[in-house]
Order: sequence, then C-alpha cells, then structure tokens
Amino acid sequence: MNKPLDIVIVGGGTAGWMTGAALAGALGPRAARVRLVESDEIATVGVGEATLPQIRDFNDYVGILEPEMMSASNASFKLGIEFVDWGFKGSSYIHPFGVHGDMIGGAAFHQHWSRAQLNDRAYNIEDFCYAIVAARKNKFDFPATDQKAVNSTYSYAYHFDAFLYAQYLRKFAEARGLERTQGKIVKVNLNAETGDIASVYLDSGETISGDLFIDCSGFRALLIGEALKGPYEDWTKWLPCDRALAVPCERAGAFTPYTRSTAREAGWQWRIPLQHRTGNGYVYSSNFIKDDKAAQTLLKTLDGKALADPRPIRFTAGRRTASWTKNCVAVGLASGFLEPLESTSIYLVQVAIINLIKLFPRANIEPALRDEFNRLVDMEYDRVRDFLILHYYLNTRTDSELWKYCRAMDVPDTLKQKIAQFKHRGYIEKYKDGLFSPASWLSVLVGQGLRPQHYDPLVDNTTLDVAISEMDSYKKKIADRVVSMPDHAEFVRDYCGSSSAETPAKAEARV
Amino acid sequence: MSRKVQRVVVVGRDIAGWLTAYTLARAFGRTGVTIEVVELPSMLRPIDVAPTLPNLRTLHRLLGFDDNAMIKACFGAPMLGQRFSNWSRGAPFVHAYDTQGVALNRVEFLNYWVRARREGLNVALEDFSLGAAAAKQARLIVPNEETMRFSHAAPGYNVEAVAYALLMQLRAKKFGVIHTPGSVAAVDHEGDRIRSVRLANGPTVEGDLFVDASGAEAVLMRDMPGDAFQSWSHWFGVDRILAASGPRLTPIPGFSEISAFRAGWLGLYPLQQRTGVIAAFDSKEMSEREMVEDLPALSGVNLKGDALVAPFSPGARARPWIGNCVALGEAAATFEPLDCAPMQALQVGLSHLAALFPADADEMAESAIFNANMEAWNGRLRDFQLAHYKLNGRRGDPFWDRARAMSVSDALDYKIKLFEARGVVALYDHESFQDENWISIFVGHGLMPRDYDPIADTMPPEEQIENFRQMLSFVAAEVQDMPSLEAHLELHAPSSAVGQ
Repeated sequence: MNKPLDIVIVGGGTAGWMTGAALAGALGPRAARVRLVESDEIATVGVGEATLPQIRDFNDYVGILEPEMMSASNASFKLGIEFVDWGFKGSSYIHPFGVHGDMIGGAAFHQHWSRAQLNDRAYNIEDFCYAIVAARKNKFDFPATDQKAVNSTYSYAYHFDAFLYAQYLRKFAEARGLERTQGKIVKVNLNAETGDIASVYLDSGETISGDLFIDCSGFRALLIGEALKGPYEDWTKWLPCDRALAVPCERAGAFTPYTRSTAREAGWQWRIPLQHRTGNGYVYSSNFIKDDKAAQTLLKTLDGKALADPRPIRFTAGRRTASWTKNCVAVGLASGFLEPLESTSIYLVQVAIINLIKLFPRANIEPALRDEFNRLVDMEYDRVRDFLILHYYLNTRTDSELWKYCRAMDVPDTLKQKIAQFKHRGYIEKYKDGLFSPASWLSVLVGQGLRPQHYDPLVDNTTLDVAISEMDSYKKKIADRVVSMPDHAEFVRDYCGSSSAETPAKAEARV
Repeated sequence: MSRKVQRVVVVGRDIAGWLTAYTLARAFGRTGVTIEVVELPSMLRPIDVAPTLPNLRTLHRLLGFDDNAMIKACFGAPMLGQRFSNWSRGAPFVHAYDTQGVALNRVEFLNYWVRARREGLNVALEDFSLGAAAAKQARLIVPNEETMRFSHAAPGYNVEAVAYALLMQLRAKKFGVIHTPGSVAAVDHEGDRIRSVRLANGPTVEGDLFVDASGAEAVLMRDMPGDAFQSWSHWFGVDRILAASGPRLTPIPGFSEISAFRAGWLGLYPLQQRTGVIAAFDSKEMSEREMVEDLPALSGVNLKGDALVAPFSPGARARPWIGNCVALGEAAATFEPLDCAPMQALQVGLSHLAALFPADADEMAESAIFNANMEAWNGRLRDFQLAHYKLNGRRGDPFWDRARAMSVSDALDYKIKLFEARGVVALYDHESFQDENWISIFVGHGLMPRDYDPIADTMPPEEQIENFRQMLSFVAAEVQDMPSLEAHLELHAPSSAVGQ
C-alpha cells in the first residue's frame, strides 16, 4: 500500500518536463518515483510558444517563481491575441485576458453596448476592455489587487521559448528527485496477459519498467498510438489545416504584449515576440496551398530577418479517443492536436497533469479513474475545438477557397446553437469549469462581425442616456489609467530581462 | 421591426405564482412591462410547509429580503441541514449544508478519513463538518475569518407556505403587479402562441408572454402543441404525498428530520410555531387510511388537526417553454419534497426565465436554450434524490428492495461507480448540489469508497491523527461560541409576534 508509484515519462519537451516537474515537485518521493526518458536525437516541436493565464496557476502549484522562469525562457508578457483579417480583410480584433466593461443597472455590459449599437450609438467594444487598450499601446503592468480598480479587470500569460522553458523545468524537476535517462526507445514491451506496458527498451540496451507510463513522445505517440494502438479522432473536416512552417526572425517592429494571428490565403500566420527574437509560423491546409508557396508567404511577411530556414511540421487535428488507456496516459501532442490559434497546447498539457494528480492511481489501476480522467480531458478538448472552429466558420471572406470551405462546413450542433443564441440576444453560456469564458466568446463573436439583433431586456432598467454616460466615463477611466502604464519592453527588461537575450538595444549599446 | 414584450400574464397560484410575479416585477417592472397574475384558487393549506435550501437566500436578497425579515414574516426557522434516519440499519446521518474537513497537502480530506477508517478510526465524517455540528447542536453559524477557512456553512429555511406566498403577493402588488383572481375557461391559441385566456367569470386577458405557474395541473402548458410529460414513476415509487401538522419542537432542532419507513419517508420540518409534517409514500404498500392512522406512531408527533393526502406523479415536461408559454414550478417538473427540491427547481427555472427573458415578443428563440438548460438542471437534481433511494439499506421492505434494485440514470450510475471506486465525485454543469453534499449522502447511506488517493499515504499516521484532533477540537470550540437557534429566533422573531 505504501510503495511509491513507479512513473516513467517518455519524451521531454514541454509536455514531458511539465509533467516531470509537476509530479516530482507536487508528489514527493514517498508517493512516486519519477523517471523521464528523452533522446537528444529527436527534436521537439518547440516553437516560440504563447500561453494562457492558467499557466500561472500551474507554476504556483509546482513552485516555480515567475521572474526566474521568464528570464530563463526569454519570456515576454501576453495580454491576449490580436486577430488580423479573420472576419474580413482589414479587420483587427483582440481576444483579451480580461473583461469588457462593468455591469450597469444589473445587466451585463455587452448588453448595454448592444443597445447602444441598435440605437445608432456605435462604440468599439474594445475601448471598454482594459487589457485590450493597454495591449494596443504596447504597455504592461501587473493587474491591481483591489477588485474595484479599473486595472484589476484582467489577467496575463506569457510568450516564451518553449525549449528553454522545458530546460528550466528540467533543472527544477531534477533538483526534486526526477531521474533523467538519455536514450532512444527502440521497443515497447507489453504485458502479454493484461496488455499493459511493462517496460521500454532503449538503444543503449537498458530496459526501464514502470507502473504508469506517460506518453509525451509527441506526434509519434510511441506508447499510446504505436504500442497500444489507441485510436485517434480526426477533426480535419472542421479544422482543415494540416501543416505548419515555423521560423524565428530577428526582433523587429513593436514588442507587443500580445500574440498576433494574421489570416492568410490558406490558413493563418502567428507572431510571438520573445526577448531574444520573434517566433513566426504559417499554419495552413495542404489542400489549399502548396508548401513552397506557403514558405514564400511566410518569409515575405516577417518583420525581421529570418534566423533559420522554415521548419516544416505535419499534423492531424484531433484527439486520442482515450488519452488514458491501460497504464498509459498521453499528455501533449500524443494525446491530441489543436492548432495553436488560441494558445491551448500547453493548457491542455496542464489539464492532463492536474487531472492525473487529482485521480492519482495505485499500481493496480482503478478503471473508474481512467474513465473520469478521459471524461474531463475530452470535454476540454471538445470545447477548445468548437471555439477554434468558430474562428474559421464565422468569416465573410470570399477571396480564397479555404475561407469559402470554412463558411460552408457543417459545424457541430452545439456550436450552431451558441452562435444562434448570441445572434438573437447576445446570450453566452458560462461553464462551471474550463475554457472558454464568456469574455472570450464575446470578443471572438463580435470581432468576427456578429452583432446581436436584440439585447437583454434587463438593460431597459437604465435609460439609454444614463447608460451612455456611464459607458463614456468608463472608457475614459481606462484610457487615462493606461496612459500612465509602463512600456512593455521596459517592464520586461527591468523585471525579468534575460542576460542571454540579444536585443536591438543591447546590440546598439555594444557599438 | 421587432416588438418588445409588454404584457406578462402569470396564470398560477400560491408560491410559484407570486414568487414569479414579484421577481419579474422587480426585474422588468420598470422597463415598461406590465405583469398580471390570473390567480387560480389556492391549493395551499395552513398546514403546508415550504422547506428551502441556502441558495434561495441569493434570490431573497435580490428581492430585498434579508434572512431575519424573511423568518419573521413567514414564521420560519433556519436549518443547518437535514438528518436522515432509518434509511439503513446504521446510525442516522446529517446532510449538512457544509464541507467536511479541509484538504491536507492538496489532497481532499475524504481520502484521509477513508484511510483512517480502514485503520480503525471510529469518528463519523460529519464530525469534521462545522455545519453538521451546528445542526446537531442547534446553533446558528456566524462566520468569522477562522471558520471561513474551514467551512462554507449557511442555513436553509423552513417557512410557512401560506405566509410566504402571501408575503410575495403583497410585495408583488406593491410593485404594480395586477391581481386578477379567477379560473381559466378557455385559452385562445394561434399555432404555438397563446393570444389570450378567457376567465370563467367573463374577462379576457391578453398577453405577450404567458407563464404557467398553476402547479401540476399545468392549465396552459398541457394544451400547448408538442407538450409532453416524461414520467419518473419507474424511478420514484411514491405516489401519494401527505401533509400534517404537529406541535412546535422546543428547543428547536437545527435540522429537518427525514426518516424512512416501510412504504416511503416522513419529514418533520421545524417552524417557529409548529412542526410541518410531510410523508411521501407508495399507496400499494400502505393505503391512505393506514398511513393516516399510523402517522402519529411513525412520526412520534402529537398531530394537530387532520392529515391531508393527495396523489403524486413525479416527472418533468420535455419542453417547459413552448412558443410564448413558459412553465415554472410544478407545472414544469414535479419533484418529491425530498432535499427541498420543489423550491430549488422553482428558483432555478425562475432565474433562467429572468436571464432569458424574451427580447422579441414575436420570436422567442430563448426557449431552446431554456429547455436544454432546464432539462440538465432537473436531471441533476432528480439524480440527487434518486441516490437516496438507490443507496438505501432497508432490507426486507418490498418498496425499498425495489428501489435498491432499480436501474438509475446513466449520470447517477457513473457518479456512484466512481465514488465507490475512489471517493471522487463527478460533477457536471447545472448541478444544484456540490461535492460536499454528494459526499455527505453517499457516505451517510453507507457507500464507502473501496480506495482513496494514495498520495494521502505519504502523511505519517501520527501527523494525520494530530490533524484530525485539531479539526475536531476546532469544530467543538467554534460551535460552543455560536448562538443557539432558540436565542436567535427569540431575538429576531419574538413569540409576541405570534398570531399576526
């Protein structure tokens, strides 16, 4: 009853090291022996990565200190994602980590905004979101703790070099007892009776056995896919992108406290500002563009000099039917893939880890734990999927085949209903747990051009004039407060400037 | 150009009718919406009690009532939970409105308790609950910084049903609600819309939105196209509800007593001036006559006046909102009085209607999301009730043996299996009850998890014992300092107020 669970993590990268750091850090050696096997040969996907605010909870849980982590991973702050050209060419909206406006007379802000629109008093809803106003001015500061302050209405996340983040976590995990083995797995041994994974056999000749195996081997899904033949649900019909090209470039242009996603002919392009360089990538559908044309588009639109050749990645949107099968838990790309449109990869890794700890098994694994894990993880995947589909589906672009395809696709009923309810009266559902919050749905629905036809009748408890006056006052409050905020680049330099980060300012200073 | 809803007609009675009217009047009365209640003859009797859960207080605050005003006006009593007795051969247990223990090293408390039980600990889980201790010692929770780190306890109220309905009626009328007593002779339909209702004494009442708060009769809803009532009688064997009244319990207990007997269950609901009695039973097991005769012995109460029995058919409408007609309360779903479900279901439906009040009088697209949400809320609430029956430990009574053998809903089956395996509660969206409530009734009915979180094993036994000791002393000490319910009632609802 008291023997520590023998856990073997297969694969490094963000998934492997987040799992390793959490298990070693949170469980202690009496609960688990944690080993990680990774091969220096196998490159991890590790593109410049953007995250969600939940990662701060994860870091707190594990015991990671923010400035140290940011410095080690050349990180910058993130207040949201800017979507350029998504609803229609020329459009730009931000999906923020924050709320729009404040309740007025017991009714939600956006309902007042709707009424104003319908009465020819058009406001840009972004002007009422502190996080957005700050982001567009390239400012950053920590949110106020006083809940009544206008600058307490947001949260934040990070952009970081995922490879460096993983290395940082590795140091952390190894300091807490995680045993790392360098090596390439050449064979997976199954228990003939139970079908469980008994051990993995490395090219060095070493065999590593364990009670519980965590598959962090990426797309290859060495354990859950290859060895256990776990089926994968393919979502390509809803999310047609199946390739990406990633390329870093010199830091140039604005050091934005937000990720940018620019819609392109056959997909979209990301821009992630890090301290030492900018991460870029074009996510696209090979059905709608050829690889070399995609590479051309990407390289042509960088705002700094490319620092490498574009690295190709191939993927299939979808998820494992059962991320926890037998004694193997898939975390990260082995468990599923959703394109990084809303920076959900690392979030889904975190969801898996937290649920695994919550449903921690003994060596003789209770099937009910697996089922509950899968229920919770699947729910998160499915909800993220629907939110991503929304971005593609709600477009009015007629200039390319991809966008026409997306507008015509038969999306899940649950999503159709959500869109219909918003269109009718701005109604947005609130989940008990998990993504995405009503503020997130609001920003994308409005950003992609949807306008409710009616508003919540509760709004009429306040006259239009009074509501307008409160709205104007709130808008001004935000604008005034943002003016005095520090500049993002300066803030990062002071708070967590990485000594290794090469920046234009540093280069200049040396001259 | 769309039209706003201007006229709301509530065709209903009693608590459902007046609480709805008052809530809608406060929410929309000043936006140009008129609210008229076509008040059908009351079906409430002076002996009726309305037990409620702590979360009804949220609605009460929005309506301008604080707890003390409420209990004063409705001769109510705060309850810290419900005690279930005779549902098995084991000791009674308290389902308190509160958590049990606190997490240690980020592992939920229940795991340590299960481990300790294995090792011979003989302390009930509820002893680690401040709410349960307060309930058993009839104290009122007055939260402080210390207790808030340990407990979320809050009271629910038993109120006099007639007084409560009257209170809502008076307030509603003060808020401009039009009161039209009568009964419905005919309903003028146009497709899936009601244009007007004609009353028996002549007048026609037109409206944009009709709310059916008429109880199980569902005078409007039953004739709406596409209406369908889904019976739950395969799950709930109870087909009769009895109401009676007994003398005031002194000192007043901190919990309502829910006790099982061979044909069903019997509830004693303490009030300021008397005790409300409710029995839910299966007339195939015990005739109405037998029930009435055996009631004093079964309840241990010297009944005052007659016991009244009515037929009961549990279930829910598949679509409580069709066209421009919305059903709330019993017209939408009929729950046994167990777990204060009827008031909870009414409140949930009413909040949804307020949040989804139709924005367009001619095209009420809100009905789709209302119906989907209510189906989920009703299902989860029903499952909580079903759990009592499924997990009962009365062997040899056909009624209870049948209950134990039945197949429950998939959602409940899954919850039970997971808890039985590892003491984890699976929660979905739209739950009326939280982890601690499910844990309370599962453990109370004897569902002991086979295993617990192995991370709990990393705490040395001595440390665990010490943690337990500290929690138990904390609970004991805090409860001592709390005011008694008697003292609280004396202060806020003095007996000189009797007889208003």
